[in-house]
Amino acid sequence: MFSFQTIIDNLPVLAASARYTLLISGAGCFLGLIFGALICVAAVSRASAARAFAGVYVSFFRGVPLLIQLLLAFYLLPLVGVNVPALAAAIFTVGLCAAAYISEILRGALNAIPRGQAEAAMAVGLAPRDIWTRILLPQALKISMPALVNELILLVKASSLVTVVGIVEITRMSQAIASATYRPLEIYLTAAFLYLAINLVIAALGRNLERRLAW
Amino acid sequence: MTLRTTLRAALFGATALALTATGALADMLEDIKAAGKITTATEMHYAPFDMLENGQYAGFNKELFDEVAKELGVAAEYQDLPWASILPGLEVSKFDFVNAPVTITPERMERYAFTLPISDATVALVQRKGGDLTAPADIKGKTVGIQKGTAQEKQLEAYSETLGGFTIRGYGSPDEAYADLAAGRLDAVAGSAPNLAYLAKTRPDVFETIQPPFGEPKYFAWVTRKEGSEALIEAMNAALVKIQDDGRLAAMQEKWFGTATALPKEMPAM
Amino acid sequence: MMEFDLFREYGPALLRGLSVTIFCWIVGTACAMALGFVLALVQRGVSARPVQWILRAYVEFIRGTPFLVQLFVLYYGAPMLGLRLDAMPAGLLGLTIYGSPYFAEIFRAGLNAVPVGQIEAARAMGFAPATILRRIMIPVMLVSALPALVNFSIILTKETVILSMITVPEIMFETQTMMAETFAFAESTLVLALFFWVFVETISRIGRRLERRATHYLLDRS
Repeated sequence: MFSFQTIIDNLPVLAASARYTLLISGAGCFLGLIFGALICVAAVSRASAARAFAGVYVSFFRGVPLLIQLLLAFYLLPLVGVNVPALAAAIFTVGLCAAAYISEILRGALNAIPRGQAEAAMAVGLAPRDIWTRILLPQALKISMPALVNELILLVKASSLVTVVGIVEITRMSQAIASATYRPLEIYLTAAFLYLAINLVIAALGRNLERRLAW
Repeated sequence: MTLRTTLRAALFGATALALTATGALADMLEDIKAAGKITTATEMHYAPFDMLENGQYAGFNKELFDEVAKELGVAAEYQDLPWASILPGLEVSKFDFVNAPVTITPERMERYAFTLPISDATVALVQRKGGDLTAPADIKGKTVGIQKGTAQEKQLEAYSETLGGFTIRGYGSPDEAYADLAAGRLDAVAGSAPNLAYLAKTRPDVFETIQPPFGEPKYFAWVTRKEGSEALIEAMNAALVKIQDDGRLAAMQEKWFGTATALPKEMPAM
Repeated sequence: MMEFDLFREYGPALLRGLSVTIFCWIVGTACAMALGFVLALVQRGVSARPVQWILRAYVEFIRGTPFLVQLFVLYYGAPMLGLRLDAMPAGLLGLTIYGSPYFAEIFRAGLNAVPVGQIEAARAMGFAPATILRRIMIPVMLVSALPALVNFSIILTKETVILSMITVPEIMFETQTMMAETFAFAESTLVLALFFWVFVETISRIGRRLERRATHYLLDRS
């Protein structure tokens, strides 16, 4: 029989593990935003080498499943001298992967900004770096806010895969509890609803933010 | 480990990129004593060796390793990792020791350094309560689950050839195989005798073991990298013998397996 | 010493895994598309409140939860409810359910993009609803929905590796089996990554070409 008691008993432990889910998706999204902005600048740059780098970067991180990227960071990077703890590896991998998607989102948003703006800024003598950080990227961020919120929701879900490098977040904890209680249905459903709750809150906050930005 | 210490470790780790090549040359025992701790990894879903109780790591392995660490004068740090990532993680120095029960096999002996046996690992079978298997050979033509990538899997494959064939299905962790056995997708699950005995003891209404174990005698031990680990292995083996001699091992075995059995004090021949 | 020789020894198993990957991708995507199309039609055609609510809850739940957890519920949890599926059928059903709301959204947007005038004109000429759907709405909808359909189908290729975690013997599963026996962890993972990179790039290119040709074909017909 469906056991609500199992859910009540294990909810605190499961909910506590959500902090890793939030940390990895949140920090991953933040890193993704920074790297993504850089990749985006490279992608629209006049230097063909920068464009080529951005192209290969986006193609690699969007072509290889995140699960395999995580294993690469865990098994392979140490062989070339990069040996970081699992949590850092997980956050960086999620961030690098997110950057590929975010750079494309930002690039799409850049196209929506009238060309005249950058040209006018250049005409009044603003340095290229200032044009990017003061004019183009802030507007691109604002335009792409709905897509970025959606990306964060995708990352919350994707963070379930970091179980393979040993982070005990919601999914890994639910596996452990399911095996200890022999109640997979109740526990995995609880995990699913935890993710759903997190994502509904993010979506609501995102709508709120969009309304404010629209003012 | 709390979130804050993990974060701090992550930050330090990210800034200080350790070169594995240089790490391999050092003596592990000295490094561990200098650090005051030994870092380990295991899959915490392997009752009664490793499990989570209310989110806390517990089990035979933890208690025994705690005692060994105490003998070494260091603290033990534990980490949960899926089995498929444990040996790769060891190879790239993600931690000092695998405190998962690893079956001693010739192939692994060539690549890794083992401690003395910590438990019996002979392969046995478990079935649903009231199942129609009465001896191991009855699994001919049936479907048997096993944790993939384990030494038990190889023994099961060899057994399938001698018996004339049965279907083997691989799982990421034994719990998933037990769940499928309970759900009726499998006729039996193969695993080490202590794990299955514990399973049948804790859930007697669902599972029962099939006697006797079919595999040749095997042992579980802990493993680490070969380079620089001689002194560490020696110290751990001395600790294991001491813990067996003063009766602590038997007490732990009674508690977790229900019976105490003597373990070899020298490396068993392959 | 990268031990690439291993791929000769384990070649047959890896090829088997690859064919399972491709099979799961194609069948899973086709079923997800079909279910997504039905959901889009129901959403458009059935205005009864409870139906809309159920649909909405389904879409929110599937889109708000990780594919891996959905697979765990389906594979390890569902037997408690009497639904006992083997790994492969569970994986295919999982892909179908997981993909359906995304495809439904793509189809919904596409159907909304069909000019109302065209549908009304066809109705005025006495075409049956089924004929209108088949001859007008679907072709016109496909023109605008194709890029998104192709795009999401490509995303699903990468999701198939997650099926390895419920023991579907696809390429990732076979690679892990090989790694456990050979200890060639880093090499195998690298090769698997490169393989997916090339594979996804290739099908993206094929997809874009098909998309252009199909668009021409559909525009010529309508």
